[in-house]
Amino acid sequence: MDKNTEIAKRDDRNIEKTRELYEAAPAVDIYENEDEILLVADMPGVTKEEVSVNIDNGRLALSGIRKLETGGVASWEEFGNVEFVRNFSVPQTIDVENVKAELKNGVLTLHMPKSEKAKPRQIEIKTA
Amino acid sequence: MFTRFSDIDRLFGTMDLLRQRLDNMSTDYNRPYRSTWLMEDGFLRANLYQSGDAFEMRLEVPGMDKDALDIKIQGNYLEISGKRDHNVPDGYKVHKTERLNGTFSRSFTLPDDVDSARVEATLKDGVLYLTLPKSEAAKPRQISIS
Repeated sequence: MDKNTEIAKRDDRNIEKTRELYEAAPAVDIYENEDEILLVADMPGVTKEEVSVNIDNGRLALSGIRKLETGGVASWEEFGNVEFVRNFSVPQTIDVENVKAELKNGVLTLHMPKSEKAKPRQIEIKTA
Repeated sequence: MFTRFSDIDRLFGTMDLLRQRLDNMSTDYNRPYRSTWLMEDGFLRANLYQSGDAFEMRLEVPGMDKDALDIKIQGNYLEISGKRDHNVPDGYKVHKTERLNGTFSRSFTLPDDVDSARVEATLKDGVLYLTLPKSEAAKPRQISIS
């Protein structure tokens, strides 16, 4: 058996995959105050329908798919269709029910309120 | 020796996996993600498409209002500048700031002159769409054979 047929044979056993979307991590800002954690992510070109935000067991998963329509012949392309993916661990004290997400001009804003018991409490000092 | 295209595809798939791992590694160390494989600075990435009598441009401008963008055209010179202002909201402490803040500017030399009076710009989902019709002199002309 010569070399060529051997290569071809091995190739037949390999599974051909469909083309997957290129993944990119969006740039994020994370802020926190006493009431909430605020996350802001840049996802240019992503529409509301294509965003998913998942909070599960202390893990926050962001995903946004960008589908751009193209016109004409590309002279240069620096960005294309992409899936913005990023995962964070969030404290268990987040009030998952009241998380608010907002998408405007390709920027995702996520308000994650802290649950009542996790908020800092001011302790009043009584004079005896 | 590659005998099928899928071999090449698989090779690139492996490279993509490596790139993703490297990207994740840099975010682990609290450094902002930059698409280092494409450009130095990840902001204001641009695509240029050409059709017969117009250029189409797409630019990534997440979170920008139309008032904050400035587009200038002269002949085949195009300049886009603007200011992105998002200060830390009051009373918040900062964990991460990776998103670009401040002024930016990028200029392009287009392959042909454009008719600056008929340029259209729209802003949608953080992407700026520009339609730049070529000037009369630069348009393709049908030549009939006599």
